Amino acid sequence: MIAGHRQPQAPGVRSGPALGPVFIAEYRLLLRSVCTVGRLIAIGLLAALSFLTAVAVALSDPFDPLARGVGFVNGNIATLIPVAVLVFGAAVLGDLIDDGSLVYLWLRPVPSWVHVLAAWAATVTVVVPLVLVPVVVATAIIDTSPELLGAVVIGGLVAVMGYAGLFVTLGVRFKRALPWGLVYILIWEGFVASAGKTATKLALRSYVRSILASMTDVTLKLGTFSLAVGIIVPLVAGAVALLYASRRLAKTDVA
Amino acid sequence: MTAAATATVPVLDTPMIEVDHASKWFGDVVAVSDVSFRIGAGVTALLGPNGAGKSTLLRMLCGLTPPDRGAVRILGADPRADIAVRGRIGIVPQQEAMFEALSAFEFVRLAGLLHGVEDPVAAARWALEVVELDPDDHRSTTTYSKGMKQRVKVAQALVNDPAIMVLDEPLTGLDPRQRGHMIELFGRLGEQGRCVIVSSHVLDEVERFGSRVLVVAQGRLAATGDFRAIRDLMDDRPHRIRVRTDRPRELATELVARAGVLAVRLESATAGRAGSVIVDTNDASRFRRAVAAAAQVADASLFEVAPLDDDLDSVFRYLVGR
Repeated sequence: MIAGHRQPQAPGVRSGPALGPVFIAEYRLLLRSVCTVGRLIAIGLLAALSFLTAVAVALSDPFDPLARGVGFVNGNIATLIPVAVLVFGAAVLGDLIDDGSLVYLWLRPVPSWVHVLAAWAATVTVVVPLVLVPVVVATAIIDTSPELLGAVVIGGLVAVMGYAGLFVTLGVRFKRALPWGLVYILIWEGFVASAGKTATKLALRSYVRSILASMTDVTLKLGTFSLAVGIIVPLVAGAVALLYASRRLAKTDVA
Repeated sequence: MTAAATATVPVLDTPMIEVDHASKWFGDVVAVSDVSFRIGAGVTALLGPNGAGKSTLLRMLCGLTPPDRGAVRILGADPRADIAVRGRIGIVPQQEAMFEALSAFEFVRLAGLLHGVEDPVAAARWALEVVELDPDDHRSTTTYSKGMKQRVKVAQALVNDPAIMVLDEPLTGLDPRQRGHMIELFGRLGEQGRCVIVSSHVLDEVERFGSRVLVVAQGRLAATGDFRAIRDLMDDRPHRIRVRTDRPRELATELVARAGVLAVRLESATAGRAGSVIVDTNDASRFRRAVAAAAQVADASLFEVAPLDDDLDSVFRYLVGR
């Protein structure tokens, strides 16, 4: 022991850290790390654009505001929310893997699921106020019906939580997670998901659309699942993805 | 002392790190090849040129990458599988990146917290003071010089009072005074019973760390043990010795006929300094005995008999070039 420092625990009896404080510390670290000015401005501008779109929609046509509101939410769930989650979710651990600073989390007596869960929580925390809240407010400009606002809140939360699980995992799995994520959002969910039932089942967007359709009684393409399935499947998919990410992170080569 | 590619050399009776025929390759590139060694408390220098496999070996020791063949044990446990043993390791990785959003104090405190240190705040303050950094400096580490970042990395490695310290080129970017301070610190940590393994490709650094050396060249363990003993082992290697004398030409004539002398070269006298004879010999100890007799025959006064290659640089060049 170096002079001046308190006596440490004897070798072999160190019990390891309490996971609660560790989770909170990692969550705060990852939240601060992922919130770069560039990302906040870029996604903030997209959210602002969405808000302006809502104003334009509200002013353009007074007919059937509920259907227009559902269409607006559907558009945001199809693009803005997954893209925002991708930008933050893929980077939250992906950045640490890329620059080598992951070693400062990995080489600690902490299970890998704590890192992954903290990354997921940080992603959800930044996307909800930055994107989901503006989308909900923008939706209210178009139509204030409780079923629509309920649908956007529940559908939006399910989307953020489900996509966050997928894209945090993508950041752990791939070096270039951003393009892979965009391929999934724009190509798979945008086009391939319409091609058949199996493809539809493998698109998170289908389940979130089903929440919107179920809660508003507005018919949406691909939105054919029940409300319960629409809520449960994205959350389970996100959880399974996080489990995989934990295993992957535990086995990964750390620089 | 051993200079062999795959020799297992027990450096101490109680090994804290055991590497048993470990190999690692990336595609077709063999980074570490059939390396075995055991080391215990004290400072051990891992020496090798850039690309020799030092960093890969250190990463294997910490469990950051698994060996493709063989085994690594840290305090008797597999660091890849046993997360508890990670709490006994402190690492200074080679890469400069740290958590940019944090100050040095926050970074070191976080390390303490993740290690389960009882009082991370006090431990972080202590660790930063040990490396002569101000715990109350609230600037982000992005504003720090390379040397300051190195010291922050050392502080976070110290904060959990580890039994094993793995330091990958920890002196990079430090000024001479800080280098001296760090070398003294590592020595003290080793004396206190920790196993401190320090990599470097700078030979004079390694010479200052202490005498125990693992030499890695082209992924293989080229030699282990005391670096001075490495030289003694290599009696087949020519040694170069300077003999300063008042009669260099006469002494050279006498020396060249002696057994074991391979070559003789004269260095002329300069202002205030006597001339010299530079002798290449394959038996240094025999030469040292013979030089006095040769001087007597040549009626020459000897002012200095000094080896020119008694440093790690020459040892390293020899080992890598074999």
